[in-house]
Amino acid sequence: MDLSQNTVSPARGGATKCEEAAVSPAGGHGARAAECDALAGLYRFLGRCLEEEVDADFLALLTGPLRPALTEIGLVLDDSLVQSDAAAFLASTAEEFTALFVAPGAVSPYRSVFEKGRNFQEPCDEAIAAYRQAGLEFQNRYSGEFPDHVGVMLGFVGWLAEREAESLGVADEVAADAWRVRRETFLLEQLGPWAPGWCRRARILAQHAFYRQVLELTERVLWHDLQALADRRRFKELERLNRRAPVRLDYDADFRKASGL
Amino acid sequence: MITRNSLNLTRRGFMKLGGTAAAVAASLESRRLVAMEQSLGGKDFSAVTGAERQAVPYTCLACNIEDGGVAFVENGRIVKLEGNMDHPNTRGKLCAKGNAGYLHVYDPDRIMTPLQRTGKRGEGKWKRISYDEAATILAAKLRQVIDRSEREGDPAIRNEIVFKWGRNRTGGAVSRFMHALGSNTMVNHTNICESSKKVGLEPSWGPDIESCDWANTKYIINFGSNVLETAYFMNPNAQRLVDGVVANKAKLVSFDVRLSNTAGYSDEWYAPFPGTDGAIALAMAHVIMNEGLYDADFVRDWTNVTAEQLIAHLKPYTPEFAEEESGVPARDIRRIAREFATTKPATTFSYRGPCKHLWGAYQEAAIHMLNVITGNVETKGGYCLPRGMGWPQPEPNPPAGKVPSVLAKPPLYPLASHAVSTNVPYMIMKGEAKVSVWMSYYDNPVYAYPSSHLWKDFLTDESHVPFYVSFSPYMSETTELADLIIPDVTYLERHDPESMPSGLYPCLSIRQPVIKPLGGTQEFRQTLIDVIRKVDPDEALGVRKYFAFDTVEDWMRAHFDNIPGLKEAGGWNALKEKGVWPIYGKVDQETAKLVDRNGNEVEAEYGLHRKRLSASEIADAEIDVQGTIRKNGHAIGVSINGRGHVGFGTGSRKIEIYKEGWREYGFNPMPVYKRLASREKKPDELVLTTYKVNVHTQSRTSSLKVLAELYHKNPAWMNPGTAAARDITDGDLIRVTSPLGYIVTRAHVTEGIHPEVIAISTACGHDAYGRLAQLKHREADPEYALGGDPDVTHNVWWDDKGVHPNPIIRLAVDPIGGSQGWYDTVVSVTKAEPGDMYGDVRVSTEQAMKDYDETLRYAYTGDLHRAAHKEVDVDWDNLPKPALSVGH
Ligand code: SF4
Repeated sequence: MDLSQNTVSPARGGATKCEEAAVSPAGGHGARAAECDALAGLYRFLGRCLEEEVDADFLALLTGPLRPALTEIGLVLDDSLVQSDAAAFLASTAEEFTALFVAPGAVSPYRSVFEKGRNFQEPCDEAIAAYRQAGLEFQNRYSGEFPDHVGVMLGFVGWLAEREAESLGVADEVAADAWRVRRETFLLEQLGPWAPGWCRRARILAQHAFYRQVLELTERVLWHDLQALADRRRFKELERLNRRAPVRLDYDADFRKASGL
Repeated sequence: MITRNSLNLTRRGFMKLGGTAAAVAASLESRRLVAMEQSLGGKDFSAVTGAERQAVPYTCLACNIEDGGVAFVENGRIVKLEGNMDHPNTRGKLCAKGNAGYLHVYDPDRIMTPLQRTGKRGEGKWKRISYDEAATILAAKLRQVIDRSEREGDPAIRNEIVFKWGRNRTGGAVSRFMHALGSNTMVNHTNICESSKKVGLEPSWGPDIESCDWANTKYIINFGSNVLETAYFMNPNAQRLVDGVVANKAKLVSFDVRLSNTAGYSDEWYAPFPGTDGAIALAMAHVIMNEGLYDADFVRDWTNVTAEQLIAHLKPYTPEFAEEESGVPARDIRRIAREFATTKPATTFSYRGPCKHLWGAYQEAAIHMLNVITGNVETKGGYCLPRGMGWPQPEPNPPAGKVPSVLAKPPLYPLASHAVSTNVPYMIMKGEAKVSVWMSYYDNPVYAYPSSHLWKDFLTDESHVPFYVSFSPYMSETTELADLIIPDVTYLERHDPESMPSGLYPCLSIRQPVIKPLGGTQEFRQTLIDVIRKVDPDEALGVRKYFAFDTVEDWMRAHFDNIPGLKEAGGWNALKEKGVWPIYGKVDQETAKLVDRNGNEVEAEYGLHRKRLSASEIADAEIDVQGTIRKNGHAIGVSINGRGHVGFGTGSRKIEIYKEGWREYGFNPMPVYKRLASREKKPDELVLTTYKVNVHTQSRTSSLKVLAELYHKNPAWMNPGTAAARDITDGDLIRVTSPLGYIVTRAHVTEGIHPEVIAISTACGHDAYGRLAQLKHREADPEYALGGDPDVTHNVWWDDKGVHPNPIIRLAVDPIGGSQGWYDTVVSVTKAEPGDMYGDVRVSTEQAMKDYDETLRYAYTGDLHRAAHKEVDVDWDNLPKPALSVGH
């Protein structure tokens, strides 16, 4: 992973698209399921990084089982810091997490804020509807958390991929396809229009290397998958949306009415 | 019979029919379709689905007027606010701030989870924690103080627990909490607000405010209030003032150093020199008394002075004297006095203009007297007592702390019944009091107080304030300095009992969560319950019982379920449904008056002081020589012509124009005019005044996009002659310098300002309060919003956030009323110097400390007090010793 590269230039196709493995002659259900598992793991990882602070358990994963894979893609934790003082690492990432994603002035990680300028707007309803359709409910752990949090949404993509893998595991291709459609739709419609651009913005402002790397990784994974899913025209549209200075609220009928105009 | 063939289906025929029908159109109108306004109010519909939106009543707290509102909720989201048609004083209308208030709820810069400081104080480094963890931390800090107090057997130690608020509409929750902890150190904000008005009124007639019957009056003298835009009870008062001026053809005369929108709407506007309203009022009284235009019966029966005493007292206050002081022509003062006295009914209204000065209480007392001597008190269309309603506190209610607090009730200001909050940091920095835990609620002194930089220094220094917790949901200039933030919800997500005397119909109202607290946030009241439970986990301290509410709603029920009348109407449940009680009637769509079922106006009650005492009340009572009726040592009424009336809320139950309590401390017992230091300024100096605008509160609303868009920069108003003398033109960069230092701002050159005044509004120039208030998005990144706030990015077309004047405003305390003299700072104004940048602020903390020492010289023990009150007949060498008394 080239950390000096600030712009995204996704390659066509990719290993994270598990349905491609399904059509591969050498694959079959087992290979597609494995791909889906990998996809689930990747999105759950990204979701976990962004949804809440690093804690001791997650740090143990980062420095243990996940380490080789992370190193391979270039997400290298600062060994000296992590090993000499895990507590300090946890404290500094918690502080950065709060500054970057929670406290006033943060790069708000909510789609509502990105799209509408305020917390808890219609994008929340859309996220809730998607979760419910999949049989899930959003429940916050800290106050001030909403369903359209980028980390939660990424985790949801992972969860959908896992269901797809499960269905494949019992050779239920119809169900697997239904999960796939849900995942792709969610990715394209609810994350695609804003999340990669948001990652870029957040990365520029991140002061902690861990979050800079995680945000870059997330952005690139998203672009990669979006490019694989979207046709050319739609992809261009997504690129535009993510570059956008977001939508303008220039007319609000309700406000005019309330003002007696 | 008409057949189809008989119709003349030509255009000419159509038009002819149309023309004929037009002539009788009124009688052909559909009786099903009504004008839109007639169906507005109380209902709202989704613009998308057409479904009726849920309407939840609440009480506004975008500012302190406490108007009744209705929130319309769609899909669990507040989509619109409007006035509650059932609220008798709000009558279905909110102001711009009230309409915009729901944006507070969804503001991305709102603090929605407790934050614990991780870096240095004020460095902006935080860690989020849960409400439970936060309550545990605070409880442990409080318990440490309590344990030390117990260990050392010194209850005074508990007063090291300080609670400071700017706005406390909790209906007693904060006092309950503090008293449970054993501390009396509750510090309000009232002395930066209108406290000297209150202290000018309370000893005069009891309550701290008047309630003018604007709608029914014929003549209004407005001293220094911008009632159509801001001021106390702005929205209800403004509505009724317009009713009075438009429907009742009342005359409105305004005295204001600045052409506010109220002054501009007046029939006559005069710009007196700042702080001279009292001289004008006294001169008017002089005219009225000397020309025999006063209400002799009222003065005789209802005051504690005689007409002769008044005439003698007012002798020096001739219109010519007032002209000399104020610049307002004597002939106009004379004419207005005559008009005021002979036009019935009439009323004055006054707000910060007269009272926010050293000795502001005298000015208010002088203005009040005009209504008294003309007999306009408690008459229809006159100057009425405020009408509020109380509610009981749930039992058991904790007793006050054992030891009075020097911070809450400073001994050098014995008459300042609303305390002297401005002095608190100075007192602590000088070692007069100690703090262990400082809590703040709706409070932003680092922005809102005079010499605001001093507060920043104070709160940053851990040796003065070892632990500071803020309950603010916004990262204000003050909350930035906290060690712990336990964010409250916004006023639309919270419970509070309310009653504001904002009109002539007394009522109770409530706040209730119109939506569930957003994102699992927690209301302050619940935090108090949680903290007390953690302070006293095993009930060993015996204070847990004061917070034995299973839910916050149970707490509300305990306030409201047993009030006679309301109980029968349904208690708390009735309030939840209507938001207000009682329901007096409906707002008539034509006249906007309150009407009953038959369409008759619901008359307010007048003459409250004349209410008769019952025989049982009078039984065993005694009447003194002045006519005061006393029972068991308490004054219960006043006897006039052999009849017992309840009278006014004073010691004699009469209006006390003569205030013996003032004399005891060497103040003049009568309303007088004292020349301020600013009146002696050098000719090339100016007096700096500030003002509020119609779409903002002092500090909190700058984060609301629609309001910030309407008003966001505050160039300094200067008169053309004043500007020209300094070679300043409109828009020029200027330096405004007081002894504290200087600010660099821009000039707005206008005729609408006294030539010796420079006026700068509040509400601008924030260094905190979210990225919109600070215009941070532009400074940091021109390409896109840092937080991806589209509205901020694209609709924020302005690049000027204004300059805040408070750092150069000097501390100056009215020794009677305790008020900050906001309008007493003398400045020099010049063109900006080379290198000056717009928004520069350079101020001295050392000078702020000197100002504190200087203002103490005016306190009743000070040398300047004595020098200014030589006329007072008191034993100067034996004034009462400064003493602690239990406040709150
Ligand atoms: S005056 Fe405006 S902001 Fe204040 S309470 Fe009334 S509606 Fe709300």
